[in-house]
Amino acid sequence: MTGIKDKKSARMRKAVYCCVLSLLFVLAAPLIPYVIDAHAEDVTSSKANKPVALQHPGINLWNDVRQRNEVTQGSSQVKGVDSGILINKTGEDWRRFRMEMLMPYGAYFMAAIVTAIVLFFLLRGKLRLPGGRSGELVCRFTLNQRTAHWFAVGIFWLLGITGLILLYGRFVLIPLLGADGFSITASACKEMHNLIGPLFLLAVLALLVLYIKDNFFNRDDITWITKGGGMFGGHVSAARFNAGEKTWFWLVMIFGFLLCITGLILDFSVFGQGREIMALSHVIHGISALILITVSFGHIYLGTIGVEGTLEGMTTGYVDANWAKSHHDLWYEEMSATAEEQQGIKQSVASSSTKPASSPAGD
Amino acid sequence: MARMKFYCDAERCIECNGCVTACKNENEVPWGVNRRRVVTIKDGEPGERSLSVACMHCSDAPCAAVCPVDCFYTTDDGIVLHDKDTCIGCGYCFYACPFGAPQFPSSVAFASRGKMDKCTFCAGGPEETHSADEFTKYGSNRIAEGKLPLCAEMCSTKALLAGDADVLSDIYRKRVINRGASVLNWGVQYKKAGIDG
Amino acid sequence: MFEQLVDGIFWNIALIVFFVGVTWRLITVLVLRSKRIDYSVARNSGVSGAIMANIRGFYPRKEVSGRIRLQVIAGYMFHLGFFVVLFFAAPHVKFIAQNITGFTYMTIPYWGFIVASEIAFAGLILLWLHRLLNPVTRLISKRSDHIATILVFVVMLTGCMALGEASSELRVLHRFSVELLMVYFPFSALMHAFMFIPSRAFTGVLLGRRGVNV
Repeated sequence: MTGIKDKKSARMRKAVYCCVLSLLFVLAAPLIPYVIDAHAEDVTSSKANKPVALQHPGINLWNDVRQRNEVTQGSSQVKGVDSGILINKTGEDWRRFRMEMLMPYGAYFMAAIVTAIVLFFLLRGKLRLPGGRSGELVCRFTLNQRTAHWFAVGIFWLLGITGLILLYGRFVLIPLLGADGFSITASACKEMHNLIGPLFLLAVLALLVLYIKDNFFNRDDITWITKGGGMFGGHVSAARFNAGEKTWFWLVMIFGFLLCITGLILDFSVFGQGREIMALSHVIHGISALILITVSFGHIYLGTIGVEGTLEGMTTGYVDANWAKSHHDLWYEEMSATAEEQQGIKQSVASSSTKPASSPAGD
Repeated sequence: MARMKFYCDAERCIECNGCVTACKNENEVPWGVNRRRVVTIKDGEPGERSLSVACMHCSDAPCAAVCPVDCFYTTDDGIVLHDKDTCIGCGYCFYACPFGAPQFPSSVAFASRGKMDKCTFCAGGPEETHSADEFTKYGSNRIAEGKLPLCAEMCSTKALLAGDADVLSDIYRKRVINRGASVLNWGVQYKKAGIDG
Repeated sequence: MFEQLVDGIFWNIALIVFFVGVTWRLITVLVLRSKRIDYSVARNSGVSGAIMANIRGFYPRKEVSGRIRLQVIAGYMFHLGFFVVLFFAAPHVKFIAQNITGFTYMTIPYWGFIVASEIAFAGLILLWLHRLLNPVTRLISKRSDHIATILVFVVMLTGCMALGEASSELRVLHRFSVELLMVYFPFSALMHAFMFIPSRAFTGVLLGRRGVNV
């Protein structure tokens, strides 16, 4: 009895052992490749030179999220523009540009131009009309042209002043107004800048439509430029607009449209544009704005105290004939030629005026 | 003086977004504002890692450098905070910050940005400590109670650490050494480099 | 201090001056009208003439439409934009409900508010420039016209400055400029906001009775 029982129990034990062993094998089987792999690695590493350059285990991770090798777009449960980007490299570039380039160089640039204008004014004084006023008036700008000009002026300076306050206020106005006072000013400036901003597009478009006709460069402009625009004495002939005025027009067009496009990108931040595009827009916006503001100093100087008789062309629409002869002789000749022609036609018709002569005011 | 820092251990973060939820709940931030977010890279691929990111409280903070109204200040603990009464919502800090920490209340078309909101390291703001004003504007002030930010306090895997930079780096150094070998296939295994944990 | 004045006594004064002034001026106009007795035989109904003249005033006559295109377009831009902002912008609706009517009504979304104010700004600036630059309108413009335009512009600009709703100073500034405008309103050409209907009707009745098709 006991023998059979022993035999039975021994067989039973064997079977259990087998089961356990096979179970262990099955469980351990997936690990075999790792063991081999580790062994192989051990062999190679023991063969290789012993001191290995110690790297942070996460080095690739950090290179990736720092966008060192390529742009790595992650994903996040927090939905939003750029929320998947852990580290945005352009932020630092943008900060450098704004604090170390735009602000100082913009200020130097503006100061340099203002100084140059003041020096020029002290040296040359107001450019008088040669031969005084003739009393004869020539129509220079139509009502629409003048309206568009002053509309653009108003918008430009509202935006220019608010923009400059936002750019330089921290260093110029905080010492004067205190942090709280300047915060109110800056908030007002930001809201004005954002709200009035889109109107500048309207202004630039109006200027484009109304002024483009006489602003294409031609051969006469080259002589005008080579002679320095008569700035150093001597007479240079010019058509309705001289090369300087044409340059100003095209500067306004190019930088004006750049300002509008980048401004709209910055203003309406709800269309999913990321920080990179906005930082780039801001760079273009800042450079364009400072160029236009600076060049406008020259434009204002020449239009007001620099040259006698210029401003009235933009306020009343009429300039003195002597002014036209001395500054825009080609235009004056053209005007008088067409006037004579019209006079001839009128005389040949020799009837009472059925249609009143179109006055610039009624345009 | 202690210098407060966050540290997120990519080897431990499991993208549970608990820190995000904890932050939102503790500070009762407005809709659309997430002071903290978890970013996963290589999602679903080998080498997937997640990191929780918020304001890093930089020592030379870019946001403070570009702010046109100078509304940022650094506390004695090295926490970067800002004054919402001064902030004009221009968004410059948002362009300058590498981590995307500055947040603006969700905007509709044509709306100008509201006041900026960002992680305060649960240290409130310039208002009187524990006042209702402070809570509505900046959220909870746990630092004044001697507690650390809730996101790190409740992190289930202790991936997100907050506290004194020296203490954090000690903890992290120990972790790296104890880990012995990186489970990543990327790096060199420390053990083989001759460092035994 | 100034804030309390602007929110309290100044606002009450402005409200009284505005309503009393407007009512008084409208009554005087209506009284003036009732004194006139037209003995001629009516060729057409005066009432229909009044209605027609009121409608006719909304669009320019063909003969001059080309010349005054800018005024018409800018005029509509300003007035429509201004009224949309004045009556349907959320902060204004809230203010009106709190201080005048006691109930709120529909508001336009924020973007509509901004677009409307931009249109109003463009219109107002263009109209003012036209007033200044056109020799005829410059000649017939009185100081009060310019003051009214500047006041409206200041009201709009301060409103725009206060858009951030960041500080009470800017809100007070806006409200103060509105109070100035309200005080000035009954004594100036700004009364056209109410007068345009009776004045057009007046002409319409006169011409309608004479059978002139207006």
